[in-house]
Amino acid sequence: MAVFEPEAEVAIRDAEETGGDVIGRSPWALAGRRLVRNKLALAAFVLFLLIVAVSFAAPLYARHVAHTDPFVSNLSGSFQQNGKTVQVIQQGTGKLGLGETPIGPTWQAKYLLGADEQGRDVAARVLYGGRASLEIGIGSAALACLLATVFGLIAGFFGGWTDSFLSRAMDLVWAFPVYLLAISLATVLLTAPNGLDLGIVRVGASSLWIPLLIIGLIYVPYVYRPVRGQVLSLRQKEFVEAAIAQGAGSFRLIFREILPNVASTVIVLLPLMIATTILTESALSYLSIGVQAPQASWGTIIDDGQALLYTRPWVAIAPGIMIVLTVLALNVFGDGLRDALDPRSKVRMK
Amino acid sequence: MLAFTVRRLVGLVAVMFALSVLVFLIFFATPGIDPARQMAGRNPSPDTIKNIRHEFGLDRPLPVRYALMMEHMFISRDLISYGSHTRVVPQIISATPVTLSLVVGAAVLWVLFSIVFGVAAAVLRGTFFDPLLMVLALIGISMPVFWLGEVANLITQDKLHGSVFSWVPPPGYTPLTQNPWQWFLHLLIPWLTLSVLYIGFYARVLRANLIETENEDYVRTARAKGISERRVLLRHTLRTSMITFVSLFGLDFGVLVAGGALLTEVVFGLPGVGQLTYNSLTGLDLPVIMTTVVYAAFFITLASAAVDLVYAWLDPRVRPT
Amino acid sequence: MRLRSLFLLVAVLGLTVIVASACGGSSKKKGAAPSGGKSGGTMILLAKAAPSGSPDPQIDYTLQEWQLLIFTHDGLVAFKRTSGVEGTKIVPDLATSVPTPTDGGKTFTFHLRSGIKFSNGKTLKASDVRFTFERLFKIGQSPNAGTWYNVIVGGDACVKKPKSCSLAKGVVANDATNTVTFHLTRGDPEFLDKLAVPFAFILPAGTPNKEVQLPPPGTGPYYFAQYNPTKQIRLVRNKYFHVWSSDAQPAGNPDVILMKFGLSVEAEVTEVENGQADWVFDTIPADRLNELSSKYGNQIHINPLTAVWYVAMNVRIPPFNSLKARQGVNFATDRNALVKIYGGPKLATPSCQILPPNFPGYKPYCPYTANPSSSGTWTAPDFAKGQQLVNASGTKGATVKVNTDTADVDKAIGLYFVGLLNKLGYHAQLQALSPAIQYPYCQNSKNKVQFCWSSWYQDYPAASDFLNVLLGCKSFVPGSNASPNIAEFCNQPIQAQMNKALNTGIFQPAAANNQWAAIDRAVTNQAPWVTLFNPKYLNFVSKRVKGFQFSPQWYFLIDQASVK
Repeated sequence: MAVFEPEAEVAIRDAEETGGDVIGRSPWALAGRRLVRNKLALAAFVLFLLIVAVSFAAPLYARHVAHTDPFVSNLSGSFQQNGKTVQVIQQGTGKLGLGETPIGPTWQAKYLLGADEQGRDVAARVLYGGRASLEIGIGSAALACLLATVFGLIAGFFGGWTDSFLSRAMDLVWAFPVYLLAISLATVLLTAPNGLDLGIVRVGASSLWIPLLIIGLIYVPYVYRPVRGQVLSLRQKEFVEAAIAQGAGSFRLIFREILPNVASTVIVLLPLMIATTILTESALSYLSIGVQAPQASWGTIIDDGQALLYTRPWVAIAPGIMIVLTVLALNVFGDGLRDALDPRSKVRMK
Repeated sequence: MLAFTVRRLVGLVAVMFALSVLVFLIFFATPGIDPARQMAGRNPSPDTIKNIRHEFGLDRPLPVRYALMMEHMFISRDLISYGSHTRVVPQIISATPVTLSLVVGAAVLWVLFSIVFGVAAAVLRGTFFDPLLMVLALIGISMPVFWLGEVANLITQDKLHGSVFSWVPPPGYTPLTQNPWQWFLHLLIPWLTLSVLYIGFYARVLRANLIETENEDYVRTARAKGISERRVLLRHTLRTSMITFVSLFGLDFGVLVAGGALLTEVVFGLPGVGQLTYNSLTGLDLPVIMTTVVYAAFFITLASAAVDLVYAWLDPRVRPT
Repeated sequence: MRLRSLFLLVAVLGLTVIVASACGGSSKKKGAAPSGGKSGGTMILLAKAAPSGSPDPQIDYTLQEWQLLIFTHDGLVAFKRTSGVEGTKIVPDLATSVPTPTDGGKTFTFHLRSGIKFSNGKTLKASDVRFTFERLFKIGQSPNAGTWYNVIVGGDACVKKPKSCSLAKGVVANDATNTVTFHLTRGDPEFLDKLAVPFAFILPAGTPNKEVQLPPPGTGPYYFAQYNPTKQIRLVRNKYFHVWSSDAQPAGNPDVILMKFGLSVEAEVTEVENGQADWVFDTIPADRLNELSSKYGNQIHINPLTAVWYVAMNVRIPPFNSLKARQGVNFATDRNALVKIYGGPKLATPSCQILPPNFPGYKPYCPYTANPSSSGTWTAPDFAKGQQLVNASGTKGATVKVNTDTADVDKAIGLYFVGLLNKLGYHAQLQALSPAIQYPYCQNSKNKVQFCWSSWYQDYPAASDFLNVLLGCKSFVPGSNASPNIAEFCNQPIQAQMNKALNTGIFQPAAANNQWAAIDRAVTNQAPWVTLFNPKYLNFVSKRVKGFQFSPQWYFLIDQASVK
């Protein structure tokens, strides 16, 4: 699903940038100044940093606040609440005594948001889950942007057969059933005796690298298309043609003339890509083919919560709220970043 | 034009071929997979496994197996699922109307609402409503569809089922031909859930395009000629802005019909192509996986070709590639 | 999906004591209408998906389809169609009586009843029987052709070369006298059980010798009018049917039986609550149980199953090649916690031994509990003792992969054990595989699975079904995907005892059961498994369903209930 906006295929405007007070300043400095003035975008960025900080503090919360290990089942456990001993998993109260229900939110340090089906502290798991979700989201978005920039530059600059080949390859990735890839890879890694040995790193079955790599790869075409388009249009610009006329080499051209112009596009796309990859990670994990147990991510916790939706809705709702907040913050910040780096639409608003 | 069609057709076949080969190889490279054993039941004798292996051609070399599978899929159309031993093609055929019902309904909603919101935001620029609408749109974009679906289920099936939402039937599907009213009731919540993301997204795209187009020369000319603001908006600005809109729509629609609505189908228990894909994947049922992959690749590449074509037709500056 | 095992009826070999005792008395007491309720109406059954496997009655191996096939088709003999232990008795069906084998147990002669017609109007003949058994081999993919029916003379050759199969010597049919004689290669006391399951239900001659997509005509009170795996199965009355034995094949109540596919389980439950449908095939979601038990208590039927959930520990590779380590894990396991995962104490009972309750040879025995007593029940884990045994075994620090499938309950059990083993001092990891490959993967010794979750549901009651098939020396086939002895347990003295009990069982069932009880103890002491619990089956029916009966063999007897 296309989530970031393709008009972020921003045309380049540095050259067009005129106006009295901006002469003599670098476009990056200008962008920075514009960004600082955008209060909403800044607030969103702060919110995002806050979520990151809280998620990475998960072990502290689990150890010092909730006093629990949220990765070990606690089915027969009990704890003290308001001076009474309370079972973590309680037998159904119906006539036939069917059903086993975990404890709901206590709104206290222990089991703040209640327990999941295995008696584990949901609040602590949501924090740990955030850590995994963010690592995968940021990592895969960075990977996608990196690969897409390289391929986009090559395709756009050299054109012809290289371009056709790369573009068709991107079509292939575009149409590739990502779920199949995820399931097969997970099965391969689960059944391989010692995980996947890549020489330098060994990837275990529950390694976060697997969803990270898969999601990173499938989003390459999303960034590839705008980058390639921009490179194509840049090639026809006067300053590039001038450079070619002066006999500049391909590498020099790519690195000195084109890359800096493409960079701002990619930077604008990055937060929006992170938002997208976080959503994708949660979807894969929800289908239980992303992050593998005993690791947790927001998606896997929503999946756990589905079986408890009507009795203990907080298990599914809490991680969902975290996803919405994170993605929203990234989208708002991404918007601000684009406005800052690509002010054309603002200029025209007058 | 002919050259374009031929080229895209060749591309389509190439992508479908490459994808199916890849899927096929990945499947057989996965350790532990033994379709004959999978089909043989709980406690078979080695001879029975051997018979099944032979019967289904699983003892032949990989390329032959691939060719056999394609023959059964396209020519004799009697490909048998490993899991249920029933024909795969009718399964896809009966799942397609479910997915189409879901996606077409959601598409109608998202096109209507996104145009209303996008135009409203553009027209009301400078007032309080523009940023409000855009923040709402962003929230829509930021919600995972499966989570939204769960929350919708929680509200309509449980928390408020006794009062406001007592008319919502339990999750599932009723065919249009069987009972149109039930069909509508069953799909209403899924339609809304699926369309929220796209409403937000398309409204933002449309707003941005409208604002951009307003400053194009021909719009200024139209204004200068004294044409009313409404006519300018409808006849000129909106029409041009729809170019991006239409091409995006084509791609998204193709992806969703191809099984991209998987999450919505799973959450709401709709037995469509996405659900079928998901079940075949978790059951490692290769014939069904292959058929859904080919089906999906077909729709996605077809949609992308169609978009290029429409784009070229709407905007003659672009030459189809 | 969640309770995969219920879809898989278990294939089992073994001596059947019940058979011997049932052989004598083929009673013909009541020919009355089925108990409770009137006939007529349409009964609507709901299932997420069509039976996995195949529509073909000689290939399909699922409870879901077998529950329907028992009233569309008949075998020569049948399990008595009733609830309780009576339901495990063999009674004559298409045959006039249950024959006593001759020739040292190698020859069975059946006389067919006359005037029985298939749903296509053709009259049942002796040659149909031979046709049916040849077809069983000719289709080449009947799961148990090579494990159950190859005992028929000519069967082994048929398994090797299905296309040219001939049972001219093994199944001698005489249409003139209406008799069929089976010749076996060796004495097989459970041959009658094999004749009473759907693989051996008689089909009319002329049915294609390849897999069919609609079950062929049968002799039962209903026939398959429609089999659409994406929509529904429709069963309607067979107008050629008349009652010849209400023990074997009573008349059914509903006029039409529909099994609809495609709804989510949540929706299925709601429809039955609302009276829009009558029965849910799938496992009821855990978060609906409380609601059901408070509001719909009298529409719920809970029946114990002769089944067991267990974790097999591989006795041939470290760390569980150490008896002390295996016993230590057994002591430390909190079976109450696992029962909670399955749905609570009302839906499962903790157990330590191999045989399930209400089973031939079952005597309660539980050494792996806090304060073991002669009552043989499990009360609480003894973690300290478990830890002590693991320490003494010197296996602490070993890496253990806990293998389960990805279904919710099974994965949760796996996660519980990961936690427990880590607490005991091992380095445990979860290995959750797709349900499609997990069971064969565990079986193959090449995969070196150390700790594997599995379950076993009886096919017909015989102690050897569990002990010899799951823990006998011959059931371990190195390097094969078909090797049901996952623990790779082979203890020669115990195996000798089993062979002895198998022989005893032919003539002295009661004595054999005592021997099996001793074997059960001996195996349990060797701890090749952590036995978790014996599950129960929860049926949820609509308000209008009357006359619910639960057969230990076929579970809910669908056509015997009434919706009028």
